[in-house]
Amino acid sequence: MRISLFAAAAAFGLAVSSSTAMADITVYTAGPASLIDDLAAGFTAKTGVKVNVFQATTGKVMARIEAEAANPVVDVLISASWDTATDFAKRGWLVPYTSPNAVNVPDFLKTDTAVAQGVSALAIAWNPKSGTPKPAEWSDLAKPEYKDLVNIPDPAQSGSAFELTAALEAQSGWKLFEDLKDNGAVVAGANAEALNPVLQGAKAAVFGAVDYISLAGMKKGESIDVIFPASGTVIAPRPVMILNWSKQQDDAKQFVDYVLSDEGQAKVAATALMPARTDVKADRPLIGDLNILKIDTDAVYSKREETLGKFNAIFAK
Amino acid sequence: MQTMNGASVSASPLEAHSAAKKGLSGDDGHSAALWIAAIGLLLVVGVPFTFIVLQAIFPELGRGSLAAPFSNLGKTLSDPLLPRMALNTVGLGVAVAAISALIGVPLAAFRGLFKVPGAKVWDALMLVPFMIPPYIATLGWIMTLQPNGYLQQLAGFNLAPFLFSLGGMAFVMALNCFPVIYFGVSRTLEAVGGRYSDVGRVFGASPWRAFWRITLPLSIPGLAASLLLIFAMAIEEYGTPAALGRHAGFEVLVTQIELRVSDWPIDLPGASIMALTLVLLSFSAFLVQRRVLSARNFQTTGGKPQAFNKRPLGPLAVPVLMFFALIAFLAAGAPLFAILATALSRTISGGLVLDNLTLANFSRIYEDGAGALKALTLSLSLGVATAIVAGLLGAIASYVVVKTKSRGRFLLDTLTIIPNALPGIVVAIGLVLAWNQPWLPVSPYNTSLILLLAYCCILLPQPVRYTTAALHQIGDNLEAAARVFGASRMVVFRRILLPLIAPSLVASMLLVFAVASRELVASLLVAPVGTHTVASFIWRQFEQGSVGLGMGMAFVTIVLTTLVPFAILILLRRASGHDAML
Repeated sequence: MRISLFAAAAAFGLAVSSSTAMADITVYTAGPASLIDDLAAGFTAKTGVKVNVFQATTGKVMARIEAEAANPVVDVLISASWDTATDFAKRGWLVPYTSPNAVNVPDFLKTDTAVAQGVSALAIAWNPKSGTPKPAEWSDLAKPEYKDLVNIPDPAQSGSAFELTAALEAQSGWKLFEDLKDNGAVVAGANAEALNPVLQGAKAAVFGAVDYISLAGMKKGESIDVIFPASGTVIAPRPVMILNWSKQQDDAKQFVDYVLSDEGQAKVAATALMPARTDVKADRPLIGDLNILKIDTDAVYSKREETLGKFNAIFAK
Repeated sequence: MQTMNGASVSASPLEAHSAAKKGLSGDDGHSAALWIAAIGLLLVVGVPFTFIVLQAIFPELGRGSLAAPFSNLGKTLSDPLLPRMALNTVGLGVAVAAISALIGVPLAAFRGLFKVPGAKVWDALMLVPFMIPPYIATLGWIMTLQPNGYLQQLAGFNLAPFLFSLGGMAFVMALNCFPVIYFGVSRTLEAVGGRYSDVGRVFGASPWRAFWRITLPLSIPGLAASLLLIFAMAIEEYGTPAALGRHAGFEVLVTQIELRVSDWPIDLPGASIMALTLVLLSFSAFLVQRRVLSARNFQTTGGKPQAFNKRPLGPLAVPVLMFFALIAFLAAGAPLFAILATALSRTISGGLVLDNLTLANFSRIYEDGAGALKALTLSLSLGVATAIVAGLLGAIASYVVVKTKSRGRFLLDTLTIIPNALPGIVVAIGLVLAWNQPWLPVSPYNTSLILLLAYCCILLPQPVRYTTAALHQIGDNLEAAARVFGASRMVVFRRILLPLIAPSLVASMLLVFAVASRELVASLLVAPVGTHTVASFIWRQFEQGSVGLGMGMAFVTIVLTTLVPFAILILLRRASGHDAML
């Protein structure tokens, strides 16, 4: 009796398990989810090749790849952090490929082994109903008008937040962060977590919000404004990579081509990300409109632990 | 399910005789139970746990290499923050258990010993907090209590300083955990009954004295088991400490483990070592519990029929009902209100005004057939499957541990304790390491079965603790009497023990169902490609800033996970004509 129930439960489990084990190509990707769903559907419609998607944060995607390393299944990886592409290339895990559709992708958004799908930038996300003046600069958020009203995404949990911290620190030292701390700014989780209190009005602004989430909220009618400080900000290109253990490299290359096609890039633009191709229109400020802070990624990432330690020391006080 | 309906406690001599004629079945039944428990536990707990230990020792395990053993141990354990995080973790666990006891024990005492008007309704309401995923409840509390939150919009003030403090965090977590005590202890008290305290009363004890000296001490197994579960739940909970603790500068082990596996370069060995620290903490708590239990004899269910008439509340009725209502409001009403309010809002910034009201989020769930409905079906099926597998495996394992003298039962017992404190994320990593080996001919990895394995591992302690406590209270003389009449061990288990532990078992299976159908952390990592559970669906919405849609889905799930158990209970009761649990 008990054994048969066991068997029944196991059979039941098998029944509910979907048949995703073997498919045409497997894509692991950081958000946004709607974008990869769109791209996968479009690609399948065009080529007939089925796409299996695992979508999570960059961190979770990496943890899965690391744990699966003995028997990897991922063919194409889309990360939200360019650092991944550099690191994977160093490990020799990537297939060199330059898509014919990448001609109009600027050089700093592509390498031999990776090309950007789209680009996000960090900005100040500010709630106009918060009763505070509209900020224009990062340093404005350290002013008394914003006392206790600023959220900062955690640089330990968000690659782009880390790059912004490093870039601003290189520009003007730790003083800005000390002022923010003295003004009651708090470190609040990853990106979406930092934004929600601003939407409800508990906080007035996010210092370094990922722009496309806020822009999408704006479209939905949320009371939120996205401000790119004139003094400069950082961008987070989202690299697409083909893994060298992939058994479907030709299909994977086709997928990269599709992501960079007119159709694919239009889908990228529709999620309020900046398209990687400069010749694709988007209804939002583009790379050319922003003042981008240059960072020496190698130097910045080699000092990562030190920078995070300093940042935490300021905000843990 | 039939075995659970076998309600008659005393086997008729005739049946027992026919069972005896089957000859050797007694020992067969005994060893069958041992084998099922051993194989089941090894598969569900042993395999992933072994791989976590291996990963802690061999940093390159993920790449199939055993190079540089122990190289990470010193580095991780000498982290200067580790002792503080371990201390924080224990402190949080103790605080949550203490607050849960303060809320749960009085409620359980009234519910178990007195005639509380509307008892079934209160039971249902106290089940709701368990159906609300902790990360959702916490988000609900944040949106209610933060400045300009729902409380401020309705009443003009906010409680942000309280919420973002250590006390606030422990309180929010306790509101989610106290049902474990409420259900566990009220059942135990019912079982202990008024009988033993009546004996005390006959000998001149006052009602209070009888409660403190007789009823309460006898219900210690139930209380200790519940407290241990809550302590373990609290130290492995991720969502609430991550959302509230960071504001208070309060890092615990789980948040650090999460950071290590989500921050490139991924530090799997470090995470595994920290997870083993957590297991050690929970194991110590378990040893304390065992000391408490082994010191005395708690057997209260003898062969004599017990007609237990609960006492009326008398003048206490009004304050007691107010207490029940207050807790039900805080634990179920307020979070549900926040969830529903958010789900019905067009925009978050619009607030609680009439023209911000919309059903759009719910219609999107209904229309988005592919995504939302599929995720719901998968999660509910997995919840039912986990409840069945973990419930039966747990019951058999605790039977072997408590009622037999098998060799190796300590090992089995240990295997049931381990998952208590394994954070979901670490279970997930252990499962991937174990089941994604290239030489395996078949593997559950990348099918939904891997989720079933993960949930069973994480939730096994629930049925084990509940049924162990129940089995401790069943007198050995009952089993001996049946054996005298020739019943095999199998018959004794099925006809005597199982019906007696059924209420506890069913209660724990309901909890397993509720938690499994919304588990987040492990699901995010091991979900097969292209598959979504309810929790990962909701999480995707939050991550993209669609809080309203996520909350809508959460609300639908809470309603369904509350209704499904009730439907099952009503069916069970119809079938058996016997009041199983609620």
